Amino acid sequence: MANNKTFLVVLMVFQVLALNAQSGNTIVLEEVILSDVKLLHFSNGIKVTVLKDSVIQRNGTSLTDLLQFNSTIYFKENGYGMISSPSFRGTNASQTAVVWNGININSQLSGQTDFNTISPQNYKDVVVRSGGGSVQFGSGAIGGSVHLNDTFLFQEHYYNQLVFGYGSFQTKNVTYKTAYGTDKWSLSLGANYKISENDYNYLGTDRKNENGAYNNLDVKATVGYFLSKAKVLKLYHNTFIGDRDFSGTITAAAKDHYKDVTSRSLLEWGNFNGHKISRVKLAYLYEKYRYYPNKEKSDFSYGSSNNLIFNYDYKYTVGNFIFNGIADFNVISAEGTNIENAHRNMFSGTFLLTHHLSEKFRYGVNIRKEVVNDYDSPLLFSMDTNYDVSDRYSINLNASKNYRIPTFNDLYWVGAGAIGNKEVTPESSFQAELGQHIKGEKYTLGLTAYYIISEDLIQWKPNDAGNWMPVNIKDAYNYGLEASLDLRQQWHIHQLSWKNLYAYSKSVDKDTNKQLIYVPFHKITSNIAYQYKAWELYHQLLYNGQVYTTSDNSDFLQGYVLSNIGVGRSFEIDKVISGKIGVKINNLFNKNYQNVAYRPMPNRNYQLNISIKF
Amino acid sequence: MKIKHAILASLAFGLLFTSCENDNDDNKRSLGDYDRGILISNEGPFQNGSGTVSYVSYDLNEVENEIYKKVNNEDLGNIVQSIGFYDKKAFIVVNNSNAIVVADRFTFKKLGAITEGLHNPRYFTAANGKGYVTNWGDPNDNNDDFVAIINLVDFTVEGTIPVEFGPEVLEEENDMVYVAHQGAWGFNNKISVIDPATDKVVKIIPVGDVPNSMAFDDADNLWVMCAGKPSYSGEETKGELVKINTTTNTVANTFEFTTTDHPKQLVEEDNSIYYTLNSNVYSMTATATSLPTSPLLEGVSFYTMRVDDGKLYGTDAKDYNSKGDLTIYNINSKEIIKTIPVGIIPGGIYFN
Repeated sequence: MANNKTFLVVLMVFQVLALNAQSGNTIVLEEVILSDVKLLHFSNGIKVTVLKDSVIQRNGTSLTDLLQFNSTIYFKENGYGMISSPSFRGTNASQTAVVWNGININSQLSGQTDFNTISPQNYKDVVVRSGGGSVQFGSGAIGGSVHLNDTFLFQEHYYNQLVFGYGSFQTKNVTYKTAYGTDKWSLSLGANYKISENDYNYLGTDRKNENGAYNNLDVKATVGYFLSKAKVLKLYHNTFIGDRDFSGTITAAAKDHYKDVTSRSLLEWGNFNGHKISRVKLAYLYEKYRYYPNKEKSDFSYGSSNNLIFNYDYKYTVGNFIFNGIADFNVISAEGTNIENAHRNMFSGTFLLTHHLSEKFRYGVNIRKEVVNDYDSPLLFSMDTNYDVSDRYSINLNASKNYRIPTFNDLYWVGAGAIGNKEVTPESSFQAELGQHIKGEKYTLGLTAYYIISEDLIQWKPNDAGNWMPVNIKDAYNYGLEASLDLRQQWHIHQLSWKNLYAYSKSVDKDTNKQLIYVPFHKITSNIAYQYKAWELYHQLLYNGQVYTTSDNSDFLQGYVLSNIGVGRSFEIDKVISGKIGVKINNLFNKNYQNVAYRPMPNRNYQLNISIKF
Repeated sequence: MKIKHAILASLAFGLLFTSCENDNDDNKRSLGDYDRGILISNEGPFQNGSGTVSYVSYDLNEVENEIYKKVNNEDLGNIVQSIGFYDKKAFIVVNNSNAIVVADRFTFKKLGAITEGLHNPRYFTAANGKGYVTNWGDPNDNNDDFVAIINLVDFTVEGTIPVEFGPEVLEEENDMVYVAHQGAWGFNNKISVIDPATDKVVKIIPVGDVPNSMAFDDADNLWVMCAGKPSYSGEETKGELVKINTTTNTVANTFEFTTTDHPKQLVEEDNSIYYTLNSNVYSMTATATSLPTSPLLEGVSFYTMRVDDGKLYGTDAKDYNSKGDLTIYNINSKEIIKTIPVGIIPGGIYFN
């Protein structure tokens, strides 16, 4: 009852805002070109890291590769290029949200995103937002969220870009990008195709990764058009088509094969009236997979989901306050070999507030309530604040309640040996975080400590009849420390950049007091890049500490250090045609490593890239 | 699930051992490090990793885990389903690796491996100088299930016998091999009888749904525990305990449970039948005319169970992702004698 009341209050505030709407006529530029303003305005006291174009290009082929070497997230890959799931701040795979242009795109079926099915190459930047964000970004934003954002450019421009890549294990990729714009139009189109035999050696054995071949196609497009001076229509689209054999393990060969398609479309109508901005969004998300237990046979099992989203977003700026009310309606359906006609209607109301109390001090208060037909959803809230103590030193603080909703698999799975449970409720977590940043001309130093309590974690375990079934059984707590140090140095035409991250994660099962599986205590990344005229030389280093592979911590995988090195040179053929050529060596020291037990990762390998812009 | 030979062997060895324990242990020559004890097969982590074998001495004082790896410095493979015995050899069935690893049952030194001709192998038994191994084939294909015939000299698959779908445990008695068709990921309700002289299925005996375990009593009757179909199947059926006369290969008696009762883990010892139902262990004599009403032990959750020499051995797989336990009960006093940590998902108990 109390929750319902709060929900009504949210709605009322939202209506009052709408009534008070007044007209203005200046266009807030960043609002127009960005797709996800919640990330911009309502993340005051949150640690947000932006991975720029240049960084993406060095690790461009999969989101796993990119974040592995440039964030504190630990990845569990079932062999290179196979299913990849994150552990962010010691949380599990469904506790990291992937957000595409402001929309949570974690699978409705599994609750997770396979980070090897996202091609980061065609995004201008990838943003890692650490910590809870369920109020803004929905289910799963517990450890943090990863944001893929398209931007629009409303000015005269036109270019084409072609990228060719060739590497070890017969890995080939080709990317085509084009963009065109005027002061009224912004158009972009990108396509990326990658194919690999992926038959790397299992170091220390005479065997290879026999069943690991993959190929995938990623297509994306954006269209932006000014209907009038203050009204913009934007269309976003992305389709990913993956086709993979699934690698076996050291102890068991595999013949599995997997095909998946994910497609996202978003139509957005924005009305920018100075301090009043309203947006109407209509989105459609589709996912489908086919799993072939034996690729030599035609038998497969499948699953698919459709998600239709209607979203109304009204933002009002008055004085130093920004208010934002969001009403969101989702109609989701899923079906498959193991799921029959499952439906979900979800309505959520969100209220966000940011107040710039002074130049130095700002804070935000945010709440969200959902009404869903198939489970009870808790009231979510968050508070965050940032205080600039001096020009160089700032402190941020945030606390939030977040959740992970039961997936369609959790609720509706029907199959031999496993069965869904309609009684499961959302996992909930409460967390707090304190961060400090020191900024100088040539350095940035960050230090963040966090604490997360998670309750009612959903776990599949055999019931009395021996069938696997999900239950809200586990409580856990995580705490940790994250440190970052960026150094920049420039002498004439020499440029040096050195970015370092360190994360300590303690993630404990409350019942057993044991560290959760596949959470490393320590992770370090260190990337150094040197530029001289058209030349660039870089080195990437990753240290993943020891992880336990059994819940009683009786077995573990050793920690390892990985090293990649690359060199590149950009060139200009004439005023219009320019390009870049690069060579990269991955796993320079031929380290035998695994991030999931019994699933070896690649030996030393090479990659050549040529990009031409015209 | 369990091999008749192992029961016989265990009886013999168990008695021998008890007697020589009273004398001087050193006088009796050991056949290897893992003689005179219990072998536990541990399936290992579900998706990736290797199963293991644990050894516990009969006096429960000596415990050694991962004995195969220790002796041979290699992994057994993914999902160690069961162990069958013939002669002095242990046939370790590795389900997901589609292999059988053959080792000396007392020293655990590797003697060979069968890696061709098996497809989702489940259980092994020997008869007429040959090995017989149930195979699911492709679990999604109900028409490719078979029993592989193993050459016990050169460790190869020398033939296959197509059978009804979902063959699981199999036992040899009176020169016949009895195969229970539990139904793989689905449900079946048959016992096939294979004649090892011709390697043909000579009879199919219909029983209750989901026959999951079986054993012979002193009069050579075959007792088959049928769980019945679970509620999630949409057509729940009652559990049944079926007694088969192995002279005529016909059903002699059927004991019915209630529709929501799904018994499992039947074993036989000293002409008594033991089984588990709803977290309890029940026992009855092989001559009983009705099912027992009060349990022998309450509040247990066994992944597998065996009874030997007045002791009941049960394993706990815990959360299926950590080391399990073997707990030994004194059947008379119903007290726990000892709980011993073993490997991940301990699925088989064998008396060596």
